[in-house]
Amino acid sequence: MIINFEQFTLGNGLRVIFHKEPSTPMAVVNVLYDVGARDENENKTGFAHLFEHLMFGGSINIGDFDSPLQEAGGQSNAFTSNDITNYYNILPAHNIDTALWLESDRMLSLAFTPKSLEVQRQVVIEEFKQRYLNQPYGDAWLQLRPLAYRKHPYRWATIGKKIQHIKDASMEDVRTFFKKYYHPANAILCIVGNFELETIKQKVDYYFGDIPAQKKSTRKIAKEPKQKKFRSKRIIRNVPTDAFYYAFAMGSRLDPQYYLADLLSDHIGNEKTGILYSELKIKKKLVNEIGAYITGSIDNGLLIITGKLNPRINFEHLDGALWDVLEKYTSRPITQPALKELKLKMQTAKAFQDQGLLNRAMNLSYFELLSKANMINEESTNYMRIQALDLHHFAKGILRKNNCSLLQIQAKR
Amino acid sequence: MIRQIQYHKPINRSIAPAIQSIDKINFIAPEKIILQNGVCLFWKSGIQNQTSKIELHFEAGSSIDDPLTAGLCAGLLINGSSTKNAKQIQKALDSVGSYYDVSLNQDTAVVTIYALNNQLLKAYRIFHEHLFDAIFPQKEIDNLVQERKQKFKLQEQKVSFLAQRLFQQKLMDQSSYGRLIEFEDYKRANRDKIRAYHSQYFLNGLHKVFLIGDIKQIELNDLIGLLNAYKQSTLQRENFTWKAQKGVQHLVKKDAVQSALRIGRPLFNKTHPDFIAFSILNTILGDYFGSRLMSNIREDKGFTYGIGSHILENRQFGYLVIGSEVGINNREATISEIQIEFKRLQNQLVGKEELDLVKNFLLGQLLKSADGPYAMLDLYANVEVHDLDLNFYEKYIAEIKSIKPEKLRELAIEYLNWQDMLIISAG
Repeated sequence: MIINFEQFTLGNGLRVIFHKEPSTPMAVVNVLYDVGARDENENKTGFAHLFEHLMFGGSINIGDFDSPLQEAGGQSNAFTSNDITNYYNILPAHNIDTALWLESDRMLSLAFTPKSLEVQRQVVIEEFKQRYLNQPYGDAWLQLRPLAYRKHPYRWATIGKKIQHIKDASMEDVRTFFKKYYHPANAILCIVGNFELETIKQKVDYYFGDIPAQKKSTRKIAKEPKQKKFRSKRIIRNVPTDAFYYAFAMGSRLDPQYYLADLLSDHIGNEKTGILYSELKIKKKLVNEIGAYITGSIDNGLLIITGKLNPRINFEHLDGALWDVLEKYTSRPITQPALKELKLKMQTAKAFQDQGLLNRAMNLSYFELLSKANMINEESTNYMRIQALDLHHFAKGILRKNNCSLLQIQAKR
Repeated sequence: MIRQIQYHKPINRSIAPAIQSIDKINFIAPEKIILQNGVCLFWKSGIQNQTSKIELHFEAGSSIDDPLTAGLCAGLLINGSSTKNAKQIQKALDSVGSYYDVSLNQDTAVVTIYALNNQLLKAYRIFHEHLFDAIFPQKEIDNLVQERKQKFKLQEQKVSFLAQRLFQQKLMDQSSYGRLIEFEDYKRANRDKIRAYHSQYFLNGLHKVFLIGDIKQIELNDLIGLLNAYKQSTLQRENFTWKAQKGVQHLVKKDAVQSALRIGRPLFNKTHPDFIAFSILNTILGDYFGSRLMSNIREDKGFTYGIGSHILENRQFGYLVIGSEVGINNREATISEIQIEFKRLQNQLVGKEELDLVKNFLLGQLLKSADGPYAMLDLYANVEVHDLDLNFYEKYIAEIKSIKPEKLRELAIEYLNWQDMLIISAG
């Protein structure tokens, strides 16, 4: 399925993508800001995400973001990653003006109330506890990131390094952050719905056109040096079972090898049919669960092999067996039928993903940020052209011990 | 009369754009095909893309017989037949690019297969062949038991899991719905029982089938032929009667930095005359981002990352549950704020502004829930399960539009009495 869209840029630098979908009575308004946790100061981490919360606390002319949107029959939410902050609104198409009015006003300026900052600091601290501290293995990524990254700001998670950083956030920090990152040239607006292009142009210009232009700041991010040696760390936690995370350094999102890494992680990590599952769980009975995936970040990502040990199995048992399996895997290329299957599954998954309006809006915005929105239509080809030997060479290159960082979480006994 | 928005610059940002409310939503029922075995197949076509999905609903849910056997049987349906082992069956499903999933609720086990529309029949055939020929190899049972035991240990570390279990046990006390799997139960996993369950509740327990996708007529005929191999479920369940417990119970979990709360009471499902009006009241209380509970406990006090109030339903009944995870030190304060919100709804009429907002919000959400063939089929399934039809949503719209604050207060007085609540916390 081809996703058709139109693009234009306002005088103030706001990039706009419009995708017409005649079959829906709803509209999606998605605003992506080119700022994520990787842009944070290492002594003030968790800030991009805290800021996302503040974006719902009222803007310069509007007391509260959510109420007018809900009154228009819509809803809104947002997420922050290490790379981006993405806000989305879904509402009945005939009320699209409400979403544009709200999004444009908070791009213009926030209300910056001390109460909003105070409350959202508390909310985010509770989020920190709920998701990272009060869950078994909840802090795994807080531990794994600084192990796998030495220089790059990916060494901290979007929630932040520690609660203290969130407590310390000041109103001055908030203002500075807004000024630097929340302006038209640093944003991508995507609209999906049953509209005419001219209508969209008129509306977008009306609501966003007079927001002052500002120069996009250049990003100076420390490049992660190529990993040369195996790293490992073991921590003890109050968890029921020993868990392991093997993180292999991979390239950036725009590296053509991204697609190889994605297919590779599927091939080795699939439940029941993948080599990790069949060798280490079924045959050797070392693990209770095992899988693989990639992080898919914009800068250098990670291919993760993770799982939990069976009772009475220790990390050394698993470690030896895992490297044996990987060696066996990289010693010969994938068979043609297996490659065909992987690609077909990828096609099925993509067809289902492309169905959702919100997915389309987010992906168009994200690909525009990466390089160009039309990447959304080129993804399939990038997977389909992969050959067995490409995958073979890639696997040999990446699944090496010197390219790996290992985190082990040992259960307290 | 709708005011046209005039795009005259400069823009006055302090004035909200005019909004239109929703008057009508088109609800379209799927095609209903009654199979020779009596099972209804609901088919939605005209998808305009290549995706397709089949959902088989079996009356094999966790509350029907033994929950342990139900869970293991559902998890092992296609993990070994006389011709193929679990991996080979999965490989066969992979070879047609399909995804397979089983979920289990209190009433029903639902098998879902996703595939491109030209592969769906092939994928279903693979499932069908190995389901009917399932042998439940002992080593697969052992494997799954081991997996579930470890998952159980993991879940036990979570305050939300502990609170939810205790809540369910106490609320659905002395009924099969309140029966839960305990860790020790895994010792009595039994192959014969699983085999018997498979035969009784799956092969002879098909209840409904939902199909979506542009499938060729000839393939549909083949599919129907296969589906006729099942026997329709003839399950008769005893009428459920409430013996719910009330009052406060706290479960201590050492080292927890947050407490999970579950507060609720027995209620009803969609078949009850108060359901729609109460669900409007529930939205105001705690079922959207701007709700009373979210505004007070998250956005004003910052006690939690989230709090919500929900009406959960099954075929026989429904119940109200408010859930949240809050800092240990704020547990008592949160509980008393929830109580204050109940009292406010009982003592003061909901204001016009808030009620209008919620009305518009609910209609907008319904429009979204009806958007596209997948959403529409889900909407249909949600009423069909209670032997209702799409007319329910017409009534829902009419009731949203006409409901008065007095009615909401009446419902709050009847259903939101603090002394009727079961209040569970863990942490």
